[in-house]
Amino acid sequence: MAATTAKLIEVFQSGQERSGVLDLPGSQWPQAGQYLPCQRDDDSIIQPLPINLFRVIGPESGLSVSPLPENWLPGDQLNLLPPHGNGFIIPESARRVGLLAFEVPPLRLLPLIKPALAQNASLTLFIDPHKDKDILNWIPSIVEIVPLSAFAENLSWLDYLAVDLPLERLNALSAILGDTKLTFSGQVLLRTAMPCHGVGECGVCSVKTQHGWRFICKDGPVFPLAEVINVAG
Amino acid sequence: MWLDDDPPLRKQDLQMTAPYVNTPGSLGFSPDIRTTPFITSLGAFITNPISRRPRQPANNRCCLPFEGGFLLHTGWPNPGIRNVIKHHRRRWANAPLPVIAHLLIDSPNTLADMVRMLEGLENLIAIELGLPLDCDAAQLEDLMEAAFGELPIIPCLQADQIPVLQETLIAQHPAAVHLLPPRGSLPVEGDETVSGRLYGSAMFPIQLRALQTLAARGLRLIVSGGVSETWQSDAMLKAGAMAVGLDHALWSVDQRSLFPTLE
Repeated sequence: MAATTAKLIEVFQSGQERSGVLDLPGSQWPQAGQYLPCQRDDDSIIQPLPINLFRVIGPESGLSVSPLPENWLPGDQLNLLPPHGNGFIIPESARRVGLLAFEVPPLRLLPLIKPALAQNASLTLFIDPHKDKDILNWIPSIVEIVPLSAFAENLSWLDYLAVDLPLERLNALSAILGDTKLTFSGQVLLRTAMPCHGVGECGVCSVKTQHGWRFICKDGPVFPLAEVINVAG
Repeated sequence: MWLDDDPPLRKQDLQMTAPYVNTPGSLGFSPDIRTTPFITSLGAFITNPISRRPRQPANNRCCLPFEGGFLLHTGWPNPGIRNVIKHHRRRWANAPLPVIAHLLIDSPNTLADMVRMLEGLENLIAIELGLPLDCDAAQLEDLMEAAFGELPIIPCLQADQIPVLQETLIAQHPAAVHLLPPRGSLPVEGDETVSGRLYGSAMFPIQLRALQTLAARGLRLIVSGGVSETWQSDAMLKAGAMAVGLDHALWSVDQRSLFPTLE
């Protein structure tokens, strides 16, 4: 898997995360949910592991990614690998699309707004609006914002749900969705450390699914919702 | 003539064409040239640790960064030796470099079973023994005896096990000894701590010192820990290592700083 290089051309703050813009050709951009293992030139001693960058919404001057380490600055040359893992894919038939940022900023879900609107879907974003006030500026007014607390009441409205959540909160999501069969399709981006990005099968990002243990770095990080909810472990 | 001063080559000796290997746990169970184009720069491929029975990931698995490196705690998940052999024996046979199987040990009896399962597999050149942390000299002798067979044996230990095990190692005369990165603990939420393997450049001076101690006793050594640049691997080789084990550096994005030949 050949590494490529890109320049960090801009740094910006999105909510609590430090994000940046890369001058990467469009053909090398990851889908929403996929990640780019990335390291700054000559950083191998002080920052031994690659940073896994996710596509987010931001200025249109290039590819917006997050999270950036504090010491990365505009002008830095970055080495990166091609997009890794599975990303989100909104079913063509979905007309009522929900985006659920579960106790995390919704940054990684926002790139789905454009494709969802392109297929004439109605969009609802479930977030904690108090925590993520700054991010609201990036969201078109056509997207309905609903507080997280109202998510459970809106399940019957959904055709498709995209979720972003930390791995350790998977059981909390399962509890909200209950153990009845889902009436909508969905995908979930599981966030956890992925130090080997699939090269080592080190196992630190393991998740138990309906089909046994899987690596989030290789088999995810986006999984079908039905595959990972209500699975103990 | 044939009666020269070099010691004869034994069946249990270990030969490698390049002085680099991967550390167990760093590159999976079989080599994959698609994800690791540098693989042929290694002298041998060491598998992820393999246990007698399947092992699940640790409940508190984590990767905790600290100044100078990171701690990794996984519980060494693996599908057990039968499944590993079933899924990987063909990949080992077709690999572009020789393979060394790394075994997690329960007892001498189960170890002997595992070794017999591996003997005869194509392109498998040696077996590594992941010694228990509390292994003493008598246990090491039992394990070496149980593992004795057709393949060279490489006991693996950490620097803090050297005082307890070095005399036995010298007496046992293994094909090589693999010095693995040390373990450590870090605090997490609440009053908890997590223990795991330590990686990163902070490990380099510890491992170099441990290498010097054992090399002075005439052991053949593979040394892992803290190497991410060529000056570090050069220092290890100069200090007497027969091979350098690379770990987190193999997860870095650009491998050219490790293997200049990839330029």
